[in-house]
Amino acid sequence: MNEKTTLDARRAFLGKLGLAATCTGAAMGVGALGAIKTAAAKSESSPGPAKSEPVPSGAKGASAEGNSFPTPDYDWTKHQWAFGVDATKCIGCLRCVEACKRENDVPRNAHQFRTWVERYVYLEGEKNAHIDSHPDPVNIEASGSEKEYRFANRYKDAKVDKAFFVPKLCNQCTHPACVQVCPVGATYKGKDGVVLIDHEYCIGCRYCVQACPYGARYFDEEKGVSDKCTWCYHRITKGLQPACVEVCPVGARIFGDTNDKQSPVSLFIRNNRVQVLRPESGNAPNVFYVGIDKEVN
Amino acid sequence: MPKHIFRLVGLIFGGLAVALIAIPLLTVDSFYRFGHYRADSVPEIAAQEPVYQTARYCLACHTPRVAQWSANSHKTVTCEICHGVAQGHPANGKLPIPKDVVKLCTLCHEAMPGRPSAQPQIEVAKHNPSGQQCTACHNPHSPKIATTLVKVTGNAAAGKQRAASCASCHGEEGISPNDTWPNLAGQHAAYLARILAAYKSGDQKDVAMTPLAQALSDADIQNLATYYAGLSCKAAPGAKAVGDAAAGKILAKNCAGCHGETGISGNPAWPMIAAQKPGYLVNVLKAFRAGLRKDPTMASASKSLSDTDITNLAAYYAQQSCQPATQGRKTQ
Repeated sequence: MNEKTTLDARRAFLGKLGLAATCTGAAMGVGALGAIKTAAAKSESSPGPAKSEPVPSGAKGASAEGNSFPTPDYDWTKHQWAFGVDATKCIGCLRCVEACKRENDVPRNAHQFRTWVERYVYLEGEKNAHIDSHPDPVNIEASGSEKEYRFANRYKDAKVDKAFFVPKLCNQCTHPACVQVCPVGATYKGKDGVVLIDHEYCIGCRYCVQACPYGARYFDEEKGVSDKCTWCYHRITKGLQPACVEVCPVGARIFGDTNDKQSPVSLFIRNNRVQVLRPESGNAPNVFYVGIDKEVN
Repeated sequence: MPKHIFRLVGLIFGGLAVALIAIPLLTVDSFYRFGHYRADSVPEIAAQEPVYQTARYCLACHTPRVAQWSANSHKTVTCEICHGVAQGHPANGKLPIPKDVVKLCTLCHEAMPGRPSAQPQIEVAKHNPSGQQCTACHNPHSPKIATTLVKVTGNAAAGKQRAASCASCHGEEGISPNDTWPNLAGQHAAYLARILAAYKSGDQKDVAMTPLAQALSDADIQNLATYYAGLSCKAAPGAKAVGDAAAGKILAKNCAGCHGETGISGNPAWPMIAAQKPGYLVNVLKAFRAGLRKDPTMASASKSLSDTDITNLAAYYAQQSCQPATQGRKTQ
């Protein structure tokens, strides 16, 4: 009697184990298949443009033009974009911030930015810089509202040793940490070097927001997705400059194609001693800075 | 092989088969096209319409304005920075002309630690104590006010001889006999030389003055300017004007930055207008407003003036003394 119940319990346990094994097997199968498919896709795309792939319905324009992707006029394999920031020229007028918000439908508040400008001020006799940016209440008060952007003249009467402005934006890293952590493949690095976000696939888990060492990403509560600077991907694919570069009145922002050795950004990188932010993080950023202190990161 | 192992292996392969069938059904076609993402999302992102249209878009219709802007120091400040985005314009109506330009201009030009010294900056309280709009003096499309001096090193005696032919209109002593022609006595020499040179080159046109000025040599212009600048404006009769001088005085605050509070300008590049003929002042202001006489600063300053405003201003300046109350007049 006693022995029989033990046997029954053991059977039930083994049955459950079997079910679990099935599930694990299925999961492994999915994973393995994914790997196979990725490998297949890689081997399919590498032989070159001659091979025609099954083109999904969304990209009909591209298929008509042969191999130009993502649009008929723009082939992302022919470009490798980069961005330059000359902090010695920046006047902190924040027109770039305004332009970016309008161009990209960024929530007009003082907390979510695709690009922003930081002010570093070293006062006489102090070792560390005072750093402020638009979210600082003093600056919001000076601008009149969270929807307008300006720096308050708060150091007007202070003894300033040194001060400068630093525009910041997504670094479109060569090894982007944000892409690595995305669990659903909603963010990726395109062949032209821009890290993009697929808003349809983003599940709003915000891993990427935390992974970015530069704080370049923000979470858009209204849309329920992560967002960040794309170097105005919709503009650069049409031959325009990103909006912030377009409006910068002093030429502190430089944009271009590193494949073109005469492009503004190629010349900027060649003719200046440039640096990137947090090189030790291993992300290999593609925004190159001139005129910043080591405190900037 | 024991039966339970066989079952397990069977289960694993069964699961694999299910997964193989399920994956293509559950994954979007473009997902692995380039990597672990949906390739279709790239053209979707690229399809977004640009909001900022760039100055090239404005050029098509606003050709003269764009030409003026692109030839001057604000050429790096694109149209859409001040006027807002051009997307939907002109279909959705006009773009705004900024009203509070003090707030707008100081975004870039307020003196602030951290701004590079190459950037023109002002201390707002000192530069603009009365809080008037920047556009009262500065043309936003051509903001630099001409302060470059024409150096005048003429001979007054030679100028006097040459001035004989000017006397019929501008008077023997540079005081014109009627309301329409300007007094020249005591005017800044640099200004006189600049205007005569402009008539000569054709930059400024006048039926009477153009042929006369074309007959002048460069030396003549220098001599004439020196001669008239040296004359006294004392003899100028207190002109009677139709306008309301009190109303003109209020308006004149906007002019004071360059022309002085009573029309006695501090910089020799800009004309003295105190005790000037009111009829002449009216004509000149209307010419600036209509763009017949070209000067970016004056075009901007006169743009918002009504005919009444102009008459009032002329009346105010006509009544002022051409001699500064305290110190001797600066002549050059």
